[in-house]
Amino acid sequence: MSSTPLAIPVDVELLATPFDPLQSLAAWQTRLRIESPCIAAAEAHFIGRVRPVTSDGAPLEALELEHYPGMTERRIAAISQALALQHGVAAVFVGHRVGRLKPGEPIVVVAVAADRRGPALRCCQEVLETLKHEAPFWKREWVNGCGHWVAANTPL
Amino acid sequence: MATGQLRVRLFAGLREEAGWHERTLIHQTGMTAATVWTLLNLGGTAPPATVRVAINHEFAALHTPLANGDEVAFLPPISGG
Repeated sequence: MSSTPLAIPVDVELLATPFDPLQSLAAWQTRLRIESPCIAAAEAHFIGRVRPVTSDGAPLEALELEHYPGMTERRIAAISQALALQHGVAAVFVGHRVGRLKPGEPIVVVAVAADRRGPALRCCQEVLETLKHEAPFWKREWVNGCGHWVAANTPL
Repeated sequence: MATGQLRVRLFAGLREEAGWHERTLIHQTGMTAATVWTLLNLGGTAPPATVRVAINHEFAALHTPLANGDEVAFLPPISGG
């Protein structure tokens, strides 16, 4: 007899306007406390911000982030769920900007709650790396009014 | 979407090269994303190796048969996070 693994709480938010990742994290922690009486002992957080320069090193005017509505959210949720099960963590949160961003603005936040720091940290990194390649987002760098689509991700 | 049709979507650089973001095609038995690419004159006989295909919001192989009402999308190289 086969058993279906229990779903792990995964929250995904795509944000069209600037956001405060610390407020997003606080809201997620509040939801976790309400949903589960057992507080996870470890949490890993990653916050990514827009670089001030392009991939070619020119001063960046803005970064535009296009996505595929429906598929992007679905892919992030599926990636997070699969990795949460693989690493045995308690909950995952991903917040990701779309639209036009200025240098320095937060673009992504990933958070993982787990019983131990190892699974929390490893899962957090793997969710981030996987969504960079497997969730449909496209970056366009703007310099002096000209846009250029980015063809590859930045190095780890 | 009406039965018998396919919805085709393009994103980012592919959308701008083609000059459109969405088209509707009449579905015919045996159609795949590869045949859609050729029918819509999207460039050459097949998408570049860097272009991925999604059918109904899931990644799919280029030669997966399409069904009535499917949404097929061509996705240029992904760069998120």
